[in-house]
Amino acid sequence: MILLAAKNLARHRVRNTLAGLGIAVAAALLLDMVMLAGGMERSFERMLLSRGFQIRLAPKGTLPFDTEATFPGGAALSGTLRADPRISAAGAVLGGALFNRVGDSLLPLAGLGVEPEGQGLYELERGADLVPGDTTGIVIGASVAARTGWKIGDTVRLSGGTDPQVARVRERRVMVRGVVHWLYESRGERTVGVTLPLIRALTGRSGDRVAMIMVKVARDADVEPVAADIRRLEPGVEVNSVATLIARFRTRLTYFRQLSLILGTISLFVGVLLVSTLLTITVNERLGEIATLRAIGVSRAGIVRRVLAEGALLSLAGNGLGLVLGLITARYLDGILTTFPGLPAAISFFVPERGAVLRAALALLAAGTLAGAWPAWRAARAPIAATLREEAT
Amino acid sequence: MISLLVLLSLQGPAPREVAIEQRLARELGLGVGDTVRVHREPGAVGTLMVVSAIYQARSDPATVLRNEFEARFHLADLARLLGAPDRIDRAGIRLQPGIAPDTAAHRLDRVAVGFRVRPSAEIASESSRTFLVVSRFHRAIGVISIVASAIFLLCIMLLKVEERRLDAAVMRMIGVRRRTVFVALLLEACLVALVGAAIGIGLAWASAEIINAYYGARFETDLRFAFLTPEIMLFGTLLSVVLGVLAGGTAAARLIRTSPLVLWRRG
Repeated sequence: MILLAAKNLARHRVRNTLAGLGIAVAAALLLDMVMLAGGMERSFERMLLSRGFQIRLAPKGTLPFDTEATFPGGAALSGTLRADPRISAAGAVLGGALFNRVGDSLLPLAGLGVEPEGQGLYELERGADLVPGDTTGIVIGASVAARTGWKIGDTVRLSGGTDPQVARVRERRVMVRGVVHWLYESRGERTVGVTLPLIRALTGRSGDRVAMIMVKVARDADVEPVAADIRRLEPGVEVNSVATLIARFRTRLTYFRQLSLILGTISLFVGVLLVSTLLTITVNERLGEIATLRAIGVSRAGIVRRVLAEGALLSLAGNGLGLVLGLITARYLDGILTTFPGLPAAISFFVPERGAVLRAALALLAAGTLAGAWPAWRAARAPIAATLREEAT
Repeated sequence: MISLLVLLSLQGPAPREVAIEQRLARELGLGVGDTVRVHREPGAVGTLMVVSAIYQARSDPATVLRNEFEARFHLADLARLLGAPDRIDRAGIRLQPGIAPDTAAHRLDRVAVGFRVRPSAEIASESSRTFLVVSRFHRAIGVISIVASAIFLLCIMLLKVEERRLDAAVMRMIGVRRRTVFVALLLEACLVALVGAAIGIGLAWASAEIINAYYGARFETDLRFAFLTPEIMLFGTLLSVVLGVLAGGTAAARLIRTSPLVLWRRG
């Protein structure tokens, strides 16, 4: 049956090749859209859980680091949380603009103040980590090392603004303790890490205000109960579990999800239309041949199967090429979207996953096969005698 | 985080002024003259303020997806409320005529500690980077769609012309010249492409209207999300006609090269 379908398709090489190419492009677009629809969320989730911290506390009504807002009692709260036996780590974070004076100019840096005993923002690559209470140390990412040429053990000057009371620059000499990989750093950002007390001193912030607390719960089953307990304990703080953050992220990216749905549907429609048009014309051309087959005893079901097999074969060939094309275009499109300003470098929009690829291929294969249903039905219902007579005259 | 709490009656010291955007006024059922208590964060001591104006917030594509509410305060009131009386997020400087913004910004930036000085043009260019990325993405998707539709069109045109092989055979047999048959088929392909382009433009117009109506209502904004410009229509029509003529011409050329008897037999 498949061999016969292949031979039939080979009778019209040019048009079937064109149709196969059309299906391939439609399949590629469909695959890309399936990857886009689910890829962003999965990539975001992977990034959030990269250090195993499942809960983030932020100022009420905000997402972590979405605004410059802070909330009070942060370090005290993270200490309380660390005392909870269900929590394996918790650390407060405060951000601020820092500068490095080079000659008579300043290099702006994104400063993050962390509690080393519970930080989830970076992974140490080499050198030593910060330790609690370290007010003379700094960790840097590869981008800062490349830009400044700083090495482990170097002493550098960091400033964070002027003190309006005495009109003096708040500046400290700090030593580069280690080089780290920042998990949430965006492309082009130059991030440095110091301890919470040091960033407060540099930026002139008093009090115990922080921008975020990251919480790692020992057992996944305890995440929601712990989140609920924190909500009860601190009603003025936004408690975001990974699921909450993904839901908020999903809302922000509604546009891309809807775009992928619309374009995916259009690709599927184009594929179906191509197969269906081609098979309709092929069947019309071969009505005499089909009537002869029926006359020599081939059943209606047999004719239907043959036409459907042609549709399936055409879709299968298009799918194969489409898969390769889809993966190439996904890479290209991802390269464009990941240049969004401020987007963490760890986020991808198009994530090739076996499930997504399989779903797209199966959808197009099923649609292509079903697209042959109408021409197949017409072929099977063609009156044998009348068709043969018409063909003979 | 600032939250607003509607108060039914005036209490305490003389209230300060706040202007709120129309959507927020609608959401909270507020009107000019109403008194609200504004908090820095839940549970903090709030400040009484009078709604002195309700305004239509400027539609900003950069923030439309956030769907956040906006309120405007006098700088001193907001600074006091936030507990940071002498802190600001940004300040604008108008230079004397003849002074180059780039040079001035560069000189100031080198000596500024705790803030950055940048020309407005640079900030505008950076703010529009998001839209440049989206625009590049749309263009790439557009190219893929054009390739898909081009192949689709080529395929359909090929089939359409092949469908006419009996007519072509008859025309050739009764003495119609090859060139005439070719031109007739080409004109037909051109017509089909033009009609297709017109239907496509109609569909695109309807889709743009639906998209604008849907997103406009969803984000309560007058921003336009999809545009159908004359340039796009012209491009679509030209592309369709060129591809139609190309495909129709190729198929027609194959058809007229084939003997009428062969065409008749295949028909």
